[in-house]
Amino acid sequence: MAATKTRGSSFSRAVSAATPSLAPGLKCGPNGTVFLSSGIPDLDKILGGGFTLGSLVMVMEDSEAPHHMLLLRNFMSQGLIHNQPLLYASPSKDPKGFLGTLPSPASSKDDKPRDRDTDQEKGLRIAWQYKKYFGENNPNFTGHRDDKHEYCNDFDLRKPLERQFLIRQHVDCVSLQDSMNLSVLLDHCGTFLSQFPRNDNNSSITTAGRIAIQSFCAPDCGYSNMEWHMLSFIRSLKSVMRSSNAVAVLTFPPSLLSPSFCKRWQHMADTLLSVKAIPDEDRELAQLLTGYQDMVGLLNVHKIARINTQVNLEYPFPWSFFCGCSTGNAAFMLFCSLSSISFILSCWSKLSAGSYDP
Amino acid sequence: MAESVCRTLRDGGLEGEHAPALTIKDSIASPFGFDVFCHVLTQLSSFILAGKSQSRGLVLVAFCRSPSFYADLLKSKGIDVNSSNKWVRILDCYTDPLGWKFRLMGVGNLRDLSCEASSTGILCKDVKDTNKLYSSIIELGKGLVAEAKSRFSVAIDSVDQMLRHASMSSVAGLFSNLRSHGQVSNVFWLLHSDLHEVRVTASLEYMSSMVASVEPLQQLTNGQRDDSDKASLTEQNLKKGKFHVRFKRRNGRVRVMLEEFHIEQSGISFKSASSEEVTNQGLLPKVQFSLQLSEKEQIDRSNVVLPFEHQGNGKPIQIYDGRNSLMEGKHETTSVSAGNSETNEGSGGGEIIYYRDSDDEMPDSDEDPDDDLDI
Repeated sequence: MAATKTRGSSFSRAVSAATPSLAPGLKCGPNGTVFLSSGIPDLDKILGGGFTLGSLVMVMEDSEAPHHMLLLRNFMSQGLIHNQPLLYASPSKDPKGFLGTLPSPASSKDDKPRDRDTDQEKGLRIAWQYKKYFGENNPNFTGHRDDKHEYCNDFDLRKPLERQFLIRQHVDCVSLQDSMNLSVLLDHCGTFLSQFPRNDNNSSITTAGRIAIQSFCAPDCGYSNMEWHMLSFIRSLKSVMRSSNAVAVLTFPPSLLSPSFCKRWQHMADTLLSVKAIPDEDRELAQLLTGYQDMVGLLNVHKIARINTQVNLEYPFPWSFFCGCSTGNAAFMLFCSLSSISFILSCWSKLSAGSYDP
Repeated sequence: MAESVCRTLRDGGLEGEHAPALTIKDSIASPFGFDVFCHVLTQLSSFILAGKSQSRGLVLVAFCRSPSFYADLLKSKGIDVNSSNKWVRILDCYTDPLGWKFRLMGVGNLRDLSCEASSTGILCKDVKDTNKLYSSIIELGKGLVAEAKSRFSVAIDSVDQMLRHASMSSVAGLFSNLRSHGQVSNVFWLLHSDLHEVRVTASLEYMSSMVASVEPLQQLTNGQRDDSDKASLTEQNLKKGKFHVRFKRRNGRVRVMLEEFHIEQSGISFKSASSEEVTNQGLLPKVQFSLQLSEKEQIDRSNVVLPFEHQGNGKPIQIYDGRNSLMEGKHETTSVSAGNSETNEGSGGGEIIYYRDSDDEMPDSDEDPDDDLDI
C-alpha cells in the first residue's frame, strides 16, 4: 500500500489528547515549551520559534551603538499588540518617555512574497538540487495577515505605536536609578510575575508577561559597582522566571563589567544575543556585504535556551546581519547575504518544524 | 580629525536628543590631552563669539587650572576677554575645592578670597556634592543665556579630579543629567586614562558620543629596543603623536579617524596622518590569497552552466513513488522530505516494494546520487 502517513517512521509519537489552549501571541514549541515572539520575524526563525516562556534573554550591548534599543522596542511593541503585560526598567529618570518611541506594525496590505531566491543569488551562485523545493519549506509567508492574531508582526520603526495599545495595557515603568537596593527591584519583578504563575499541567495559558530591563549596569545607577549584588539579582530573577509564564529581556554593556563578571553574566543567560556596531566607510566590508549601505549593525546569537531538552542547539554560524534601512522602508530585517547561510536557515526551520505542527 | 570634532560640538544636539559629548583621553606615553582640551576650548569659544554655533555661551568647570589661566589662554589666542562675561562663566573648583580655605578664613588667617573670584565665575567650595555641582553649572548656564530656549556648552577640564572626590556613579549621573538637559548644547571633558581602572574609562566612553585619544606615534615596548632608540622615540613622542577619534553616529555606525598632531610653541597643530592607514579592528580576517576575480574570470564564471541548474524547468515535479515506469527516469528527481516508499531499479517485470523503516538514514542514502545528473 502506498504510504500516506505524514511521518516516514514506523513509530508514531503519542500526541497528548488535549493540545494546550493558548492565548494569541503564544505558540507551542518542542518538548513542552511555549514560545512568544521577539517582535522580529527573522530572529524568531533563528531561535526556532521565539523566546521560550520562563527563560531569561540577555543582550550584550555595544557601547558605541544603540542597536539593543531596536531589539527592546520590537519586543515591547509585540507584547503590547498581543495585550501581554509589560514591565520596563531603564536607567533614565523618566522611563515612560521611551514608550513614545515604540514602533507600530507595518501595514502590509500587499502580501509581498519574500523572494528568497533572488536574495540568494547575489554574489555567489550555488547549484543546489533542492533549490526548487524551497517554496514548500516556508509556510510562514502565506496566510492571513491579521495584526491581532499574527504571532509576529513586522514593525515600521517610523510609525509610533498607537495610543490605544499603550492605554489598554498599563506598562509598569521603573527607573533603575531609584533602586539603590536591588532587592526592591527584585520584589517589584516578583509581584509583576505573580500574575502569570506556571502550573504543571500547562493546560491553558491565558496571559504571558514580558519584562524588559535596559542597560542593567549603566554607570549612573547607584548599584553599578556592586557586581556580586547584580549577579545575585540576575540569578534570583532567573529563578522566579522559571516558575512563571513570562520572558525577561535584559540588556547590558559588557565593557562596563570586569571580564570575570562578564563571563558569569553570560553564563546566567538562557538565550544570549549580542549586537555590534559596524564601522562606517569600511571598504572591505562594503565589498563583502551586498547591502552594506543599508546596514547599521551586526546581531550575533551566542546561545539559545535549552529548556526541557538535552539537545545542544548551538547556532552554527557566528554572524547574522541586520539592517534598519535608513531610506524608505524602515522595517527591521534580518537577512544573510551569503546564500549558504540562508540555506542553513531554511534547514533549521525545517528541523525545528519537524517535531511539531507549526 | 580635530576640525570635525569641533564642528560636531559646534552643531550641538537636536531637540529631544542627548547632547553630543566628547571625551579627550591621554596617557603618560603622550601627555598632551590638556593641549587638545585647550584647542577645543578656544575653537568652540571662537565659534560662539562669531555666532556660528548652536550654543550661545560656555560654562567652564575648572578643576586643575585657575580661572586666570583660562583668561590668559583666551587672550593669547586672540579671543576678546573684555566681553567674556557675556559668553563665558567659570565654575572655580580649583581655588578651594573642599572649602578648607574658607573655613580657615573664618579663623582670620587668610585673606579674603572673594577678590579672587572674578565677575565671570563663582567659587565652588564643595566638589564632593555632585548634585550641587550640577545645579551650579545649570544656574551659571542659565544666567549666561537670556532666553529659555538658548543653549550653552559645558567644559570640564579634569574628570580625574572629580573622581577623586566623588564616586563614579554620581559623576556618571551628573554627566547624563547634563547631556539630557534641554539647554545644554554639548559637553566635553578631559581624562587621563592611566589614572583610573579600565572600567571607569569604559564608563566615560559609554556616555560620550565621541572619544578622542591622544596616543604616541610609536608605542615604546620595554626591553626590545636600545637605549638610544628609546631616547629618540621618547623625544619624538614629546613633540608629536597620533590623534585618534571614534565618532558614534546617529545611525549607529562608528566612524574612526586618525590624525597627527605636533606640539609647538604656540600650541598644538593637527595635520592628516602621514603614511599609515586608519587601522580598523577589522571584522574580517586578513587572508593571504586572492579572493577576487578578474573581469575575464567573472565572465567565464557566469557562462558556466551548473549541473542542477537545468532541472525542473517548469515541468511539474514528480515524486517517484515506485509505480511509474522507469522510462521517465531521465527527468525524475527525488523528494527532499521523508520518502515514503521507493523501488529499486529492478530487472524485467518484477518490482521490489521497499518501505523505509526510519528516518535515520540520509534521505538519499539508498540510491545513487549521480542518478540526478543531467550531463
